[in-house]
Amino acid sequence: MAGGSGASGRGPMEGIGLDCYGGGDAARGALGWAAPEARVHFRVTRFIMEAGVKLGMQSIPIATACTIYHKFFCEINLDAYDPYLIAMSSLYLAGKVEEQHLRTRDIINVSNRYFHPGSEPLELDSRFWVLRDSIVQCELLVLRVLRFQVSFQHPHKYLLHYLISLKNWLNRYSWQRTPISVTAWALLRDSYHGGLCLRFRAQHIAVAVLHLALQVYGVEVPAEAEAEKPWWQVFSDDLTKPTIDNIVCNLIQIYTMDTEIP
Amino acid sequence: MDRDLLRQSLNYHGPSLLSLLRSEQLDNPHFRSLLGSAAESARGPPLQQPLQARKEKRVDNVEVQKFISKKADLLFALSWKPDAPAASEVNEDNEDSYAVMPPLEQFMEIPSMDRRELFFRDIERGDIVIGRISSIREFGFFMVLICLGSGIMRDISHLEITALCPLRDVPSHSNHGDPLSYYQTGDIIRAGIKDIDRYHEKLAVSLYNSSLPPHLSGIKLGVISSEELPLYYRRSVELNSNSLESYDNIMQSSLGFVNPGVVEFLLGKLGIDESNPPSLMRGLQSKNFSEDDFASALRKKQSASWALKCVKIGVDYFKVGRHVDAMNEYNKALEIDKQNVEALVARGALYATKGSLNKAIEDFELALENCPTHRNARKYLCQTLVERGGQLEEEEKFLNAESYYKKALDLDGTFKDAEDALQKLHKYMQKSLELREKQAEKEEKQKTKKIETSAEKLRKLLKEEKRLKKKRRKSTSSSSVSSGDESVSSSSSSSSSGHKRHKKHKRNRSESSRSSKRHSAKASSNQIDETRKDEYFPVPANTSASFLNQRQEMEKLLEKQDRVPSEKKQAKEKDRCPFSSSSVEIPDDFGGRSEDPRGFYNTDKTQASSSKTEKPYKYERHFSSRRDSSDSFSKNPEDKLKNYGYRKSEKDIEGRKEHHRKWEPGSVRYYSTSPASSDYSSKSVEKYKKYSGSRDFSRHEQRYQLSKNHREYGREDNYEEDIKTEVPEKDEVHSKEHSESGVKKNLPQNLLNIFNQIAAFEKEKGNKQKN
Repeated sequence: MAGGSGASGRGPMEGIGLDCYGGGDAARGALGWAAPEARVHFRVTRFIMEAGVKLGMQSIPIATACTIYHKFFCEINLDAYDPYLIAMSSLYLAGKVEEQHLRTRDIINVSNRYFHPGSEPLELDSRFWVLRDSIVQCELLVLRVLRFQVSFQHPHKYLLHYLISLKNWLNRYSWQRTPISVTAWALLRDSYHGGLCLRFRAQHIAVAVLHLALQVYGVEVPAEAEAEKPWWQVFSDDLTKPTIDNIVCNLIQIYTMDTEIP
Repeated sequence: MDRDLLRQSLNYHGPSLLSLLRSEQLDNPHFRSLLGSAAESARGPPLQQPLQARKEKRVDNVEVQKFISKKADLLFALSWKPDAPAASEVNEDNEDSYAVMPPLEQFMEIPSMDRRELFFRDIERGDIVIGRISSIREFGFFMVLICLGSGIMRDISHLEITALCPLRDVPSHSNHGDPLSYYQTGDIIRAGIKDIDRYHEKLAVSLYNSSLPPHLSGIKLGVISSEELPLYYRRSVELNSNSLESYDNIMQSSLGFVNPGVVEFLLGKLGIDESNPPSLMRGLQSKNFSEDDFASALRKKQSASWALKCVKIGVDYFKVGRHVDAMNEYNKALEIDKQNVEALVARGALYATKGSLNKAIEDFELALENCPTHRNARKYLCQTLVERGGQLEEEEKFLNAESYYKKALDLDGTFKDAEDALQKLHKYMQKSLELREKQAEKEEKQKTKKIETSAEKLRKLLKEEKRLKKKRRKSTSSSSVSSGDESVSSSSSSSSSGHKRHKKHKRNRSESSRSSKRHSAKASSNQIDETRKDEYFPVPANTSASFLNQRQEMEKLLEKQDRVPSEKKQAKEKDRCPFSSSSVEIPDDFGGRSEDPRGFYNTDKTQASSSKTEKPYKYERHFSSRRDSSDSFSKNPEDKLKNYGYRKSEKDIEGRKEHHRKWEPGSVRYYSTSPASSDYSSKSVEKYKKYSGSRDFSRHEQRYQLSKNHREYGREDNYEEDIKTEVPEKDEVHSKEHSESGVKKNLPQNLLNIFNQIAAFEKEKGNKQKN
């Protein structure tokens, strides 16, 4: 069915892709629940991240893919398009934007395996090419919806520099003992499950995840009490404590969905 | 579970986290035991201290504590650690790899007192410090530290920290004199920390590299220029001159920040592994991802199956004779999946059929390398090696041939063909040595004579043959007989030493040669034979029969899997067999054909061969396919032939093989049957008609037959003669004959009947022989 529509109509993307995969109905079924959209997006972005890892993507391209996805659905109603198809196209587009080119074949393979665990790779027949076409066509749609603005400033670079600066100020043994950088990195990656990246500045998100990471392990920045300026304000002048708390709160909110959604 | 880390966190967050942890991680056995002990310590003195100090911070912490307690199993897991704890700090941080920033404390504007305190807390032996010499004494020199060269990067330039470099730690620069005379006040010195007195805040440094840890030992200590000062210090100096610069501005304007590789570089520096990315989401624990689900694994799998599909298509092409298409498919398959064993085997088989034995061997060997247990690859490789060995034998490269046989035997010790071939080769090599000696003697004798008479002899021979032909026509003997004669003559003339092989030929190729015509032909050929026999001894040996046999063996093997390589031959056989053999054989021949999907290909092939009258016999075809082995024909080790014949009669159970043998006698007289024959199945008639097309059937047939005979005759003669200069002459004669026969195409109609009779006769004989 999806193959037919894809083969005949190159223009409209509705319904293509999802119907081939089992995930679509479940995702749509979730629409009736509380905070439905966030849940759908959580699921789909988790798919993006898992597929990204399996595709060997680095953190930044994955972050770009998630941002493209979230930005798309800021503009477009969730009902209009199959979120998983948008996700696949986002992955593909993000690979191009971040110079880590992916092949549609790999995206289709990984996605197919994700939706049908343990299944054999698809044969490279006409159905496969229809799927491929739908991803490529959808990529154009996404580009148009985003007005071709697909290059983003991610918090990753900032976070890493902050970590280096902090590392030099902290006692080296307490730094070695505490997995601050790994935790901050994980928190930052996970933050893309929600639309944080669209609502806050990259620097603020970077500081917030660092703040949370330090708090989790009870690490204090030395001589913070005596300092004229708190460390987080050094990194970003326009940042306030409430903003940090807001971001942290949002981030923790995202994690609550982790246990709720299988 | 990292106890220290958990304790640290509990100390910070206080008892509320503890209770949360207890309720959240109730099911986790690691935590249950741990929290007990942690609770005790938390109730003790450390509990009060942090609580008082940070009371005001507790307010917004509830959410964070809930988060910690929920994710505690991940956060405090021992595996949740940077893989490379301290990346080597040797790299004097390059401006381009990342944005090197002034120290954080400079931005935070921390009072000097605290900085100094923290410096003496954090400085370690083996760290590199950089300072200016403030005074030189007889026991050493003092320096004021301005920055750090390794370990921690701190802003210490205003802290007035002095360090002593004692005399014994100053290397002397000349053989005599005071080493300190080399240094002046104000010099910038790089030195390693040797001793720290944290309480009195005193430092001792050394200029010997032995004071540095191993990974820093390459760094040069001593006087440095101001350009060699670390980048962070220079940035920090810049910042001091313009304290309004913000961290963000400095960072963003730095070249390193826009470096596309900055993330990767810093990830390495911080020990974060991107190939196994961390996540606190339960669904994204990459350790739970199966390797099979990764893109590369899936692609590999998909490519393998795609390649296999191509191989299948290729095999199908092969079955209908589209060898070029088949080759393209195989190559495509190998492009998709370089190591695809099936594609390699199939391509090897195709190469083998096409006669490119070396390429075939390469493919088979590669296939075996990738999959040492591949049975077909092994089998085909053995076959091809033996065949190639046979070729080499013909080319007189006996040692090479031997190595090929041996290789085949190494692969498969039970492979009989290789063993036989090897034994034969050994025997032959021995014999040929003896013969060569004899030949040398004889050559001496005949040398002079031969030169004179060789042309004459040929002329005589040609005359003889012409005469024979005429006689034949006159006596209305069948062409099969005459061709039989020719084969006799050829075989007898070519036979090296005699009658065994001669007999063999008779049996195999020309049963009908027992007719009266034989003697004269034989006589003439024998005459020639005598004069020439010796001349051809050294030529390497192979017989058409042995070769065919090999081919067929190969065929049989190949057919088992892809049923391809034999097609062409089979097609040939089939369009001949029905004509040469009588009805008894026809049924199973057709039975085989009808179940064979390649049936229609056969007729195609037949058409092609019949329309081109010069299409050689199978017999000849093999010769031509075997790279000009014409000269080798005349030289044959009879034991080989015998061997093959013997084995054949023993082993020939398979129907196909059977008519392969039957085909052999028939090859020279396949016109003995005609469409008129009542035995002939209607199907075959149809087929035959098909390829005869609209032309006058019988007439064409006869002409065809004659021309074919002549051609073969010519060919065989060529083999016999092996004197190149004579070939054109011969050809001339034959073309004459050819045209002659073209004129005389109206042979009496009853000739066909005679053919039939002869066919029946032969068949009987064949049956007898079989029995």
